[in-house]
Amino acid sequence: MPDRSLISSQAPSTEIRIANDMCEIERVTELVEGFGAGHALSNSVIVALNVSLDEVLNNIISYGYDDTARHDILVQLAIGSGGVEVIVEDDGKPFDPLAVATPRPRSETEVGGVGLHFVRSLMDQLEYSRRGPINRLRLIKKLEHDDG
Amino acid sequence: MAEARMKLVEEVADDVTVVEAHGRLDSTTAKEFGDRLAALVQAGRRAIVLDLKNIAYISSAGFRVLLITNRAATQKQGKLALCGVTGEVRRLFEIGSFLDQFLICPTQADGIGKLRQ
Repeated sequence: MPDRSLISSQAPSTEIRIANDMCEIERVTELVEGFGAGHALSNSVIVALNVSLDEVLNNIISYGYDDTARHDILVQLAIGSGGVEVIVEDDGKPFDPLAVATPRPRSETEVGGVGLHFVRSLMDQLEYSRRGPINRLRLIKKLEHDDG
Repeated sequence: MAEARMKLVEEVADDVTVVEAHGRLDSTTAKEFGDRLAALVQAGRRAIVLDLKNIAYISSAGFRVLLITNRAATQKQGKLALCGVTGEVRRLFEIGSFLDQFLICPTQADGIGKLRQ
C-alpha cells in the first residue's frame, strides 16, 4: 500500500521529536490536543489518538532500548479527507506490534497485551515496517461524518 | 486540555473517602495517581469511592493502577467503588473488558451507599 494512500503530501501536518523518557509523552498529548482542536476533531477521535499513542510510546520507551542512552522518537500527525494519520518512528530494537498475539489471560493486576488491544480497537488501520535501524508504525483513524 | 494533567480531590464523608480524579490517567500520570491511592489504602481508608467523571481517558498504564489499587484495598479488607464511568472512559472499560473487574456505581452517592452496606 502506498505510504500516502489517505493523506496527500500537502495535507495539514505537524510533528514532534521526544526523548525516550516517559514524562515526554505529555508533550505528544498536548500536540494531539492542539491538532485536534485546530481541525475540529471529535473528542472520541482525540481520545483514540491519545490512548493509542500512549500505548505505543510507553512500549517503545519501556522495552525498545538495550542501553541507557537518550534516543529520539518522532511522532507525525496529518489529516486528510480519509482520516488522521499517525506515524511513529524510533531507533529501538526491531518490534512489530502487529505481530503480538491477542491479550494474555490476565491476573488481577496484569494488563499485558491490553495496550496493543486498545490500539487495534481504537484505530482503523495499522502498518509496521523496519527501515534500516528504524521501526516505523503508521496508524490511521478514519473520520466519520459526525466526527468533528 | 489546558488544565493540569492530573489532579485528585479528596473528601472524607464519615467512614468513606471520596476521591475525584481530574485529567488523564495515562503513562505520565499513573504513578502519581497510584502512589496517592496506595497511600490512602495503607493509611487504613477501608472504603474508597473513586469518581472518574472528570477523567478524559484511561490508557493501559492507568488501568494497571486501578487494578493494583483494587487488589490492595481487598487485601486490607477494604473496598473500592468506581463511579462516573461514562462516555469515552466507559468505552475504554468495555474494550479492555474491565467492567466486571470493579465495583462500578452510577454516582458518588450510589458508591457511598454501596460501601456502607
